[in-house]
Amino acid sequence: MITTTKRHTLTTPSDRTIRVEREFDAPRDRVWRAFTEPELAAQWWGRGNKVVIERDEVQRGGHWRYVEHSPDGEVHGFEGRYREVTPKDRIVRTFEWDGMPGYTILETAEFFDAGPGRTRLVSTSLFFSPEERDGMLHSGMEGGMAESFAALDRLLAEMR
Amino acid sequence: MVQYSSDLDSVFAAVADPTRRGILERLGRREASITELAEAFDMTLTGMKKHVKVLEDAGLVQTQKVGRVRTCTLGPRRLTAEAQWIATYQQMVEARLDSLGAFLERTKGDQP
Repeated sequence: MITTTKRHTLTTPSDRTIRVEREFDAPRDRVWRAFTEPELAAQWWGRGNKVVIERDEVQRGGHWRYVEHSPDGEVHGFEGRYREVTPKDRIVRTFEWDGMPGYTILETAEFFDAGPGRTRLVSTSLFFSPEERDGMLHSGMEGGMAESFAALDRLLAEMR
Repeated sequence: MVQYSSDLDSVFAAVADPTRRGILERLGRREASITELAEAFDMTLTGMKKHVKVLEDAGLVQTQKVGRVRTCTLGPRRLTAEAQWIATYQQMVEARLDSLGAFLERTKGDQP
């Protein structure tokens, strides 16, 4: 699926990836700051809704939590952790909505120079579903789980 | 897991609207007539018929007329909560980039 509007290009490179590309008439430094400085992010992230940034530790392993308040009184929390932060270049973080706990999305934002004073942003979202996670349990992780359970069995036996 | 294909475009369009997501959620619990749905969503019959038509075209809802009552149930392409969430998320990402563009435009002259 490719949808091109005058603003952005959306593609679905795989059955669980959404890629959106868009150019902004602003230098890379400004776009980076709009993403990483909470007081700036709060001004656009909510798409017009009020956003309360409860937490935003922009560094590897750091937590973030944004809460969006819509005019009809609905409150939606979003959160995750930073996996990679390369200044002015790349941010990789997990994204979860309170309403769908466990459905983690891995978001990557990449910033490129696109001519004088312009920036191209590529946003890629990779979906993980509990089904896939369950699939993983039945493959490689199964052996490790069995060992853990055996160790737990021994421990419980000793505690008796 | 969700399978994307070009015909999923109609699904995305169908669930882009919060009322239509609400209709799906409600029909997921039990069937309802167009009149019941119109009342539940405080909408005219004509307005509700349009929403149901969009959902029906996307295969998300099917309707059956018995006597004078048209009953709606979930269609053959049952959209899982996950697929709905992905569609909503996609809309959100697109809207967010628009919002960022507007913000950068608005703050253009500001000192860094």
